[in-house]
Amino acid sequence: MRAAMFTRRVVAAASVAISAMLGAAVSGAPAAAQTTVKLWLHEHPPRLPIDRAIIAEFEKANPDIKVQYDVIPPAEFGQKLLTAFASGSGPDLFAAASLVIAQYQAARILAPVDFAALGFADEQALTSLYFTGFDGVRFGGRLHGVPVEVSNWVCYANNAIWREAGLDPAKDFPKTWEALPAVAEKLTQRDANGVPRRRGFDFNWGIRNQLWYTTSTMFHQMGQRLVDDQTGKVMLDSPAGRRAMQYLADHANKHRLGGPQYTDPRADFLGGRLATECTFGIFGIPQMKAAKVDFSVHPAPRWADAKGDHGLDIYAFYMMVNARSAAPAQKAAWKLARMYLERSVELFEKAGLFVPRREVMESPTYNSDPNIALIIAELRKARFSPAIPGHDQVLDVFLKGRDQVVQGKQPVDTVVPAINAEMNTVLDRARARARGTQ
Amino acid sequence: MRAGAGRLERGRLDRGLWGLGFVLPVVAFFATFSVFPVLFGFYLSLTDYDLLNPPLFVGLENFANLLGDRLFHTALVNTLIFVAGSTLPVWIGSLAAALLFDRTFRGRELLKSVFFLPVLPPIAVVAVLWRMLLHPNGLVTHGVGWFHGVTEIPWLADTVLAPLAMIVVHDWAVIPFFMLIWLAGLAGIPPDVRDAASIDGAGAMRRFWHVELPLLRRTSLLVASLSTINAFQTFALQFVLSSDQGGPANSTLVLGLLVFKYGFQYFRMGDAAAVSVVMFAMILAVTLIQLRLARHAH
Repeated sequence: MRAAMFTRRVVAAASVAISAMLGAAVSGAPAAAQTTVKLWLHEHPPRLPIDRAIIAEFEKANPDIKVQYDVIPPAEFGQKLLTAFASGSGPDLFAAASLVIAQYQAARILAPVDFAALGFADEQALTSLYFTGFDGVRFGGRLHGVPVEVSNWVCYANNAIWREAGLDPAKDFPKTWEALPAVAEKLTQRDANGVPRRRGFDFNWGIRNQLWYTTSTMFHQMGQRLVDDQTGKVMLDSPAGRRAMQYLADHANKHRLGGPQYTDPRADFLGGRLATECTFGIFGIPQMKAAKVDFSVHPAPRWADAKGDHGLDIYAFYMMVNARSAAPAQKAAWKLARMYLERSVELFEKAGLFVPRREVMESPTYNSDPNIALIIAELRKARFSPAIPGHDQVLDVFLKGRDQVVQGKQPVDTVVPAINAEMNTVLDRARARARGTQ
Repeated sequence: MRAGAGRLERGRLDRGLWGLGFVLPVVAFFATFSVFPVLFGFYLSLTDYDLLNPPLFVGLENFANLLGDRLFHTALVNTLIFVAGSTLPVWIGSLAAALLFDRTFRGRELLKSVFFLPVLPPIAVVAVLWRMLLHPNGLVTHGVGWFHGVTEIPWLADTVLAPLAMIVVHDWAVIPFFMLIWLAGLAGIPPDVRDAASIDGAGAMRRFWHVELPLLRRTSLLVASLSTINAFQTFALQFVLSSDQGGPANSTLVLGLLVFKYGFQYFRMGDAAAVSVVMFAMILAVTLIQLRLARHAH
């Protein structure tokens, strides 16, 4: 009896509490509707103060818009973005790299650029401010993002090691892939077993996409595309593809200049264990200076019979808007993205994020180091790597093929046709699924 | 009389409601975080789902596709090899360690504590540590090279050595844990049984084979089943330690890693769920066999 009374009291008290909470929520609702923009960016510590300043300025100028800002570690960014989209809680504005955005485009996550909201008359008004950077985010002839970083890799030489080997990087740096092994051998120090104690040059085997960028660059230099623009097929099973794969195999097995067992060539270069490294961009300069490396910057080698004068491929980070967000949030997101475009000089000077705009190239930091102009001269000659849906799986097949050729020492002529077919199967499936969602 | 019966009935109902109130949070918790995900996983295995668009029901198509999926076959074979390398050696190694630490000797407690250290850090930390140790010119190479004059061994970049390295690191990390289970089992053997065997003239080996090991049968089954389940579920070690997450040439790609790749790298959540269901079935089979054996042992 007493228990029953107690139950009734508890139920009554809970009802009153819930009513009170609901009442408070209703009375506390703002009179005017406020738009919230969810902004997700990957963690890059030098950029964070700029983010905060931009958001404060934006919210002050737009009191009806609130920015919900999240910074996510780079290693977790892709998965968090994916799961957030899956649960319908994805950001309104986010940044992602050029190689992975094709899969978001395939799933129709990316909204085409709203030039009016962004504050530009049309596409021409925006792109004319930059000399490159938009090809990585153009789908079906329409832009789906704006660049916050456009970057490329070049080759860095450790001048001290080169001089010690009797070479002058300014004169002796190899112009061609064919000439590279002989120069690298002169720079290599080996132990009694022939194992390199110090390597002259090595590819960056620790970065998964390095294989994609480098092979694609070799294709560009041969006047071809790793993924054909017309047919949409992976073209690894071609003379250009076999040549690139054979080059990697010979580098590791015939010349024994390095290989996948060396997983961190950047650290090896900064530590004086590698004389030449070709996966640093502008961001490498402060690292060289901090490590007190006497360095010089050089264009990547070309094929001796190259048909195109192309440096290592471009990659970029774009700010993109979620096509599934509400229309006011999308407009507000583009408006916020505009502020990042306007802060491009500050983003370069304080966070090292380069975009190829005139103001950036006239900035004191850009002109403070002659190496930067050399890197950007290579950027002007570089092209974007193909961005495809299913990129990660296609790349995994490619890496498997590389391992079979390099570590497994299997013949290129056997491996390449098999993995080319497998890559195209994966790509076809990804495209078929993309078509199915449209 | 009728009023009294009514009160009694209401009292029972109130008690029932109170009981339900107490149990409900726990039931809701398990239903939400254990039962629902399992059922949802089964449902997803019957769909084509890329996480970005609504799932499409495809029936058993994902399971049929697994039959011809080379990546799945590779991962399945790699997992079975890993399980083989992570059960019997772990069973023997942990038993040997337990027998050693079951004896009384000077410095035993200190040595036992040191031996137990690998269990303490998360497996991801263990993997990072071993990544440094297994550098081609690293400490392990120096140790091995001292005997053979080799100065570089690509432990993690060779298709034969890399899976072997995964097994060795895994066994190193889990043997101390299973040693504790064996020690608990050994502690449960009555001393007078051992004494009786000794009085009867049984030496250490005979006492172990004919007295202790039969009495440890249930512990033995527990170690065997737990280590098998643990090995089937391996993921973090391969994720952190292997090159290109499953490389070289997919030689360290195990089912757990394949689920991750399908789900979060390839946007193929339906296939990921199908692989998970297959893993679930395999682990369930192992558990049922263990239960059956335990019943016989009893």
